[in-house]
Amino acid sequence: MDGSGERAGHGDPVRRNFEDGVVSDADVAGMLGPVGATRLEDVRAGGATPPPAAPDNAATSTDGGRARPGCKAERAARPEACSSHVEDRAAPDNAADGPRSAAVLHVDIDAFFAAIEQQRDPRLQGKPVIVGAGVIASCSYEARRFGLRAGMALSEAKRLCPHAIVIDGHAQVYRCFAETIFDRCRAIAPAVETYLDEAYCDLTGTERLHGDLLDAARRLKRDIRDLTGLTVTCGLGPNRMIAKLAGKTVKPDGLARVTAGEADAFVRDRPVEQIAGIGHAHARTLRSMNVRTAGELRALSAEALVRLFGAPGRLLYERCRGRDTAVVHEREIPVTVSRETSFHRDTADRAEIEGMLEYLAGRACRTVRELGVSPRTIAVRLRYADGEWIERARSLAQPSHTDPVVLALALELFAALFTRRVALHGVGLVLSNFVATTAEQGALFDEREAGRRAALYRAFDGVRESFGHGVLVSGRALRLKGRLEQDEHGFVLRTPSLTK
Amino acid sequence: MRQETIDEAVTVRADFQGGVVTPVAFRLRGREQRITRVNARWVDRVPRHPHWYFSVTVDTGDVYQLQLQAGDMVWWLDTVALEG
Repeated sequence: MDGSGERAGHGDPVRRNFEDGVVSDADVAGMLGPVGATRLEDVRAGGATPPPAAPDNAATSTDGGRARPGCKAERAARPEACSSHVEDRAAPDNAADGPRSAAVLHVDIDAFFAAIEQQRDPRLQGKPVIVGAGVIASCSYEARRFGLRAGMALSEAKRLCPHAIVIDGHAQVYRCFAETIFDRCRAIAPAVETYLDEAYCDLTGTERLHGDLLDAARRLKRDIRDLTGLTVTCGLGPNRMIAKLAGKTVKPDGLARVTAGEADAFVRDRPVEQIAGIGHAHARTLRSMNVRTAGELRALSAEALVRLFGAPGRLLYERCRGRDTAVVHEREIPVTVSRETSFHRDTADRAEIEGMLEYLAGRACRTVRELGVSPRTIAVRLRYADGEWIERARSLAQPSHTDPVVLALALELFAALFTRRVALHGVGLVLSNFVATTAEQGALFDEREAGRRAALYRAFDGVRESFGHGVLVSGRALRLKGRLEQDEHGFVLRTPSLTK
Repeated sequence: MRQETIDEAVTVRADFQGGVVTPVAFRLRGREQRITRVNARWVDRVPRHPHWYFSVTVDTGDVYQLQLQAGDMVWWLDTVALEG
C-alpha cells in the first residue's frame, strides 16, 4: 500500500511477542493453509531467468550516520509505477569469491489494506476500493487509475471516482496479515525491520544458505502469495535505499535487483523525492533551485547541502550517489509516535483545536506508555485550510509519558505556531527521541506526586484497555463530544492511518 | 457495501483434514448456510490463544466472517457483508 501515511512516525512496531507457545508458527501457518480462493499461479516474477551480467563487486560506502527509513512525506510522494516485471541486472552473487557485499531485500505489500478487502470479499475484486475514513488510507490499483492516492480527502476521491467503494477499514485484520508476511521474512533473513506495510530484510552473508538471492526473493513472494493471497513487490540492493528504489520501479508484484556496481547509475535519474530523507519541503526547495533528479543534486557540494538542510544534508550528499549506510535493525521502539487528524470542518476555534490536541496527546501518551518509553521531544504540526503547513518541535526538560506534561508543551507550541488568520484543516502531535521509562522523575520534593500521577495513568490505561479509549475523556477534549463521531476506540480520527 | 455485526456463537461443520481447518457449512438461526468459497484466512496471535478468522462466501452469495477461538474451540459468526 503506497503513498500512505499509515507509517507516519513509524509508530507501529509491528513486532509482537509470541505468546504462550500453544501453537507454533509452523502450526499456525499449516492450519491456515493456503488461501482457498487463491490459485497457485506463478507470481509474475517467478518465471524469469536472470540474465547473466557483471558480478557484484562494488563496495558500499562506509560513511556513518543513520536515517529514518522513509518519512511520511517521502511515502506520500511515492509515485505509482504500475509496471510489473523482473529486473535483474546481475549474475548470482558468488559468496565464495571476493569481498562480501551487503544485500538488503525490501518487501512492500501492494495496495495493502485495499488488497485485503478485495480478498475478503471477492465482490470487490476489479473495482475501485478505498479504505479510510475522512481521508484515503489505501486504495486499490483500480482506484489509482482515477488519480486517487493515499492521503487524499474522501470528498475529493468521490469527485474523481464517484463509483468507488469506501470501506472504513479493519486495522486488526491488516495487522494479522502483516504479521504473517513478516514471519515469512524472518524465516529467510537474520534481521528484519518492519513497518506497517513494508519490511527490510538483511540478507547479507546468506548466499551460502539461499544461493542466488533473487531466487530467495522469488520463493518469498510465492510463499507470501500462497499463504495470504497478497502480492508483494521486492527490491534487492546493496543498501536499504537502493533496495526500496529498485522495488519502486516494478510495482506492483514485481521483483528487481540493483547491484552495488549499478547503484550509482541507477540512482542518477531518480526524482529527488524518491531519495530517503527528502520530503515535500526539501523537494520544494530543490525544485525551486531547478534540481529535480538525484543526478542534478550531485552538483551540490556536501557543504552546500548542509547549509540548506542542516546535518541531514551530508546524508543526502551520500544518498544521491546511491550510498546509504543505514543498517537493518529489528526495532522494539519506534522512531516516532504520532497522532493526527483532519477536522470534519476547517476550524479556527481555539477551544476545539486545543481539545483535539489534548485528545491526541492522550492517545499518543497511552501508546508510549504501552511501549515502556518516554519521549523527550514533542512536535506539533498544523495544516492550514489553504494547504500550507507548519511544524515545530521542542524538547522536554525531562522525558515524560504523562499526558499533562506532554500536553502543556504541545499547547505552548500550538500557541506559538497558530499565528495566521486562516482556519486549520488538521492538527498532529509527534513524540520522538524516546528513552526507556524508569520512574517518572519529578522535582526533589515532588516524587511522591510523580509516583501517584504515574499510578493514576496506569489505572486510566487499564480502564481504557478494557472499555476503549473513549470511555475516559478529559478536560478540553470534552469539547469534542457531540462534534465528532465515536466508536469503541474513542473519537474517530480522520487520518490516513487506521491504526491510530 | 455495508457490514453488519452478528457476533453470535454458531455451529460450524468443518474439515480438519491434513491439519488445515476449513469451514464447510454453518447453522444460522436454524438454517444451514453452505460455504461455497473460503475467500481469506488469517490468524490473530495477540490474544493468549490464537483466533483464526475466515472470510467465506455462502451459497446465497453473502460474505460472512467466521472466527474460531483456539482457547475454547468455539466458532463465532462475526459479521456479514451485504451489497448495497
